[in-house]
Amino acid sequence: MESEERKEQPRRGKLKIFFGYAAGIGKTYAMLQSAQKAKESGIDVVAGYIEPHTRAETMALTQGLEMLPLKELKYHKLALKEFNLEAALERKPELILVDELAHTNAAGCRHEKRYQDIKELLQAGIDVYTTVNVQHVESLNDTISGITGIVVRERIPDSVFDKAEQVELVDIEPEELLERMKKGRIYGENRADRAMYNFFTKDKLLSLREIALRRMADRVNLAQAAMAHSKRETAEHILICLSPSPSNGTVIRQASRMAVAFHGKFTALYVETPEASEMSREDIRQLNENTRLAEQLGAKVVTSYGSDIVEEIAAYAEVARVTKIVLGRTYTKRRLLFIKDSFSEQLSRLAPSLEIFLIPDAYDRKYKSVRKRKKPAVEQKRIWTDAGICALGLLCSTAIAFLLNRFFGFSAANVVMVYMIGVLMSAVFTSRQIWGIIASVMSILIFNFFFTEPYRTLQVNDPGYLITFCVMFITAVISSALTKKVKNYAQQNAKKAYRTEILLETSRKLQDAGSLENIAGRTAEQLNMLLERNVYFYLGKPGKDSRPVVCKADEEASDALGDSELAVAQWTYRNNKHAGFSTQTLPGARCLCMAVRSTDKVFAVVAIDMEHRDISAFEEGIMGAILNECAFALEKEELIIERKEADMKLQKEQLRANLLRSISHDLRTPLTSISGNAETLMGNDSQLGTVQRKAIYKDIYDDSIWLINLVENLLSVTRIENGSMKLNIQGEIVEDVITEALKHVNRRGRMQSIRVECDELLMVRIDVKLMLQVIINLIDNAVKYTPPHSEIWIRAKRIGDRAVVSVSDNGPGIPDSEKPKLFQMFYTSCNSVADGRRGMGLGLTLCQAVINAHGGEIKVYDNVPKGTIFRFELEVEDVIL
Amino acid sequence: MTADGKPYVLVVEDDAPVRNLIATTLESQNYKYMTSVNGGQAVMSAASGNPDIILMDLGLPDMDGVDVIKKIRTWSVAPIIVISARSDDRDKVDALDAGADDYLTKPFSVEELLARLRSTLRRIQYLTQKGDNEASIFHNGSLTIDYGAGTVHVGEKEIHLMPLEYSLLCLLAQNVGKVLTYQFILDKVWANAIESDMSSLRVYMASLRKKIEKDSGQPQCIQTHIGIGYRMVRLN
Repeated sequence: MESEERKEQPRRGKLKIFFGYAAGIGKTYAMLQSAQKAKESGIDVVAGYIEPHTRAETMALTQGLEMLPLKELKYHKLALKEFNLEAALERKPELILVDELAHTNAAGCRHEKRYQDIKELLQAGIDVYTTVNVQHVESLNDTISGITGIVVRERIPDSVFDKAEQVELVDIEPEELLERMKKGRIYGENRADRAMYNFFTKDKLLSLREIALRRMADRVNLAQAAMAHSKRETAEHILICLSPSPSNGTVIRQASRMAVAFHGKFTALYVETPEASEMSREDIRQLNENTRLAEQLGAKVVTSYGSDIVEEIAAYAEVARVTKIVLGRTYTKRRLLFIKDSFSEQLSRLAPSLEIFLIPDAYDRKYKSVRKRKKPAVEQKRIWTDAGICALGLLCSTAIAFLLNRFFGFSAANVVMVYMIGVLMSAVFTSRQIWGIIASVMSILIFNFFFTEPYRTLQVNDPGYLITFCVMFITAVISSALTKKVKNYAQQNAKKAYRTEILLETSRKLQDAGSLENIAGRTAEQLNMLLERNVYFYLGKPGKDSRPVVCKADEEASDALGDSELAVAQWTYRNNKHAGFSTQTLPGARCLCMAVRSTDKVFAVVAIDMEHRDISAFEEGIMGAILNECAFALEKEELIIERKEADMKLQKEQLRANLLRSISHDLRTPLTSISGNAETLMGNDSQLGTVQRKAIYKDIYDDSIWLINLVENLLSVTRIENGSMKLNIQGEIVEDVITEALKHVNRRGRMQSIRVECDELLMVRIDVKLMLQVIINLIDNAVKYTPPHSEIWIRAKRIGDRAVVSVSDNGPGIPDSEKPKLFQMFYTSCNSVADGRRGMGLGLTLCQAVINAHGGEIKVYDNVPKGTIFRFELEVEDVIL
Repeated sequence: MTADGKPYVLVVEDDAPVRNLIATTLESQNYKYMTSVNGGQAVMSAASGNPDIILMDLGLPDMDGVDVIKKIRTWSVAPIIVISARSDDRDKVDALDAGADDYLTKPFSVEELLARLRSTLRRIQYLTQKGDNEASIFHNGSLTIDYGAGTVHVGEKEIHLMPLEYSLLCLLAQNVGKVLTYQFILDKVWANAIESDMSSLRVYMASLRKKIEKDSGQPQCIQTHIGIGYRMVRLN
């Protein structure tokens, strides 16, 4: 994610952290001093947020600095003042001071944590100065709470600290700090800090200082390693398992420190077991929190599905070449009646080459009790159905056994087998394994009661039966356990199959979507089917005017996002990060917004109305896969569009080349005639007779008129071909246009009669200049290709709300074989007049382009009994007088 | 106006062949003329020479033709005929709105040029006559408008016009020989012109024409200038 952010912004702001080991050592003071210096050197400095201090010396330093107004929030009647991120981004100074990096924002701010605010500032290219104490660094949290006894809840991920461009250690001797404290010069910046001082003794301060100095040293090492470009990627791969246990955090932090120390890869594995669906809400929350922590500390989070956690871990470890695994003791779970090795022992047996680290765990007991208390409430209903199934199974078995024993005379020893059926039925149809065992115990008792002597007592005369009972019991237990296992596998497989099916379906649907909108629509559909929630899919940047593709689960949902939700979607688009509900950015939103992205580009934003409910990890996994699939499809589609555009360009280039070649050829002929004739006139004027001279004048005139018409058509064609043409659509009276066109028609020396039949006051919406050209061309063509004394009709008629305009003649007509080629550029009828140049075949191409641009189509028909009709339709404008 | 009744023409054209063509044409008709090759010179000549008609090319090297028109119009009422390349209607409309009277599109025929000049001349003559007898009756060909009585006759026959048609006809008559742009007409006749009135203008004009023209397919009196506007031609 970090790297993606960097690609987006050419210049990223620089972060400088003033780092101390305890409150009161003067971090804010140091920060303000540096800020004043920066200001003197002409940098635009703004104080975004400074913790209010009572220390006069510190506050004095804020003088002369521009203070950004704080954001005031009401929270349970408490007026809270928070750093105003929006104002800071708006103001966009070169450098901004934001005190207390580890601060947690009040509800209603854009981000949950201040370091996220700062990340956004940096991304916007603003340099940031900030302060932080050592106990707020995530990975040191356990160590420090071990020393001070206080758990700090406001923590920053190590990555923020390590990626800061500059960290300045503010350091004084612990004695001096204690001295200051005694003089009452320090009032803790928050309650936790203040409380801390009560415990402060010199040796505690010393160890805090040591940790801070060591952390600084680590940072230096890291920087050196990075500088040398030899990121010593040792083959170390450290694995931890995610669990809903609160102690999991300790494991994650410990493992992350190891990963840093070894320069190794760091993976967090979550094994989703069938029992996961029974998890309580509290557990899910804790699990999500742990997952997030692991991500923050640089772990890659992987989910796998299986009933046996140990097997899954071992399998993953082998595939991913994990070298070390860090475990908490939570996993040492004992199962009823089975004597099992501890978790770590099992693991070491399955993966002997794996190094296993165990972290002691203080929270274990509490965690389990939570789980047990929650369970019965959920299960209450099932118990009765399960008991019913059990009873039914036993009843049936007993009835059959009775039948066999009494009427068919089978011996009791054989009848025992019937009860196996009952036990198996109970195992298969009940939800928990315990029912299988209950059923086996019950069946032995019932068998004993009915079929062994003495009858109708629970006593046994024949000791041989005891062995029968034992064997039966063990068989029953084992078979019920096996059934259970098979059932679990089936469930697991069903889930996997479901996942595969959805993904396959998605990918198939996206494959033949064909357009960006279709892809969006189908993705939204798939997500809607998966999550059964309202899905809004914004292609490109979400905005007020952009209409999302919506797939509703709830019919009454609105068609677009509200303003506040839209803002979240926009943030997601800009920052290429998930935001909204269940994330750390703008968690107050109703929707979860996710970016659909390839490596470096955000194609779309999907907003899912979460209705205040989380979605399961399983669904989240599929959702992620669908979005990836969608991004892939969108990317492919965009590439196709780009290629098409490139092809079109190429085609246009070719067209242009053709045009130029054709122009230069066709211009040459009339130009030769004009210049030659003029030359003749200039040179041999006296030798020419009046008749000859007249003929030459006429040639010159005709050729120049021909050139003029050519240029007109060319101009229009290039306007259209450029795509730069904007139609200037206005209402025009068809009759006027036809009258005007007739003025321009070149009829010199032609004797056709032209008739106009036009509806009165027929007003159409056209670009009159271009339409004029169309009619002129059509009439010119008719004149040009028909023998003298032919008749040409121009008709315009209103049919419905369309005006049908046609130009027809009773000339020789056009053979069918030539009709499809008529509208091609540079096509001229081959049976044209013998002089060899009849225009460049631009006329009809232009007509077609203009009519198409008007949303119509020009078609050619045969006239009866002979001749040709060109016909097209136009939009009628109704006139309100 | 020169002594022999021939007009004095100022030709503003930067392109030498076209300037020569116009000059030759004017000479052939024994018109007096002077030429300018750019806008600055044109303004000077217009001020010093006091021409009767100005022929002006819109594409001038030093300044925009429309600006030249505006400058000249600050003191002179001499008719201006604009010459422009055919593809840019906008220029023509701007020029007409700025005060030009008529326009010619390149390439134009010599006949056309002379026809325009003659029609403009008639208009000047009419205007000077009008100054003499303060006509409350307008005559043009067979068309007669009696402003006082508010009646319109074609030949002997009285024509019944709707109020808007009458206003249109009066506007055209008062500016006879001059091309009026759509916008100009809309502003004068429709009190508050909106976009849709453009089409009703077309319809009113068509129906007006039906009433006063002998053959509406071949209009004589009112010309349509597609994409620009209308003009009433002065008929003899």
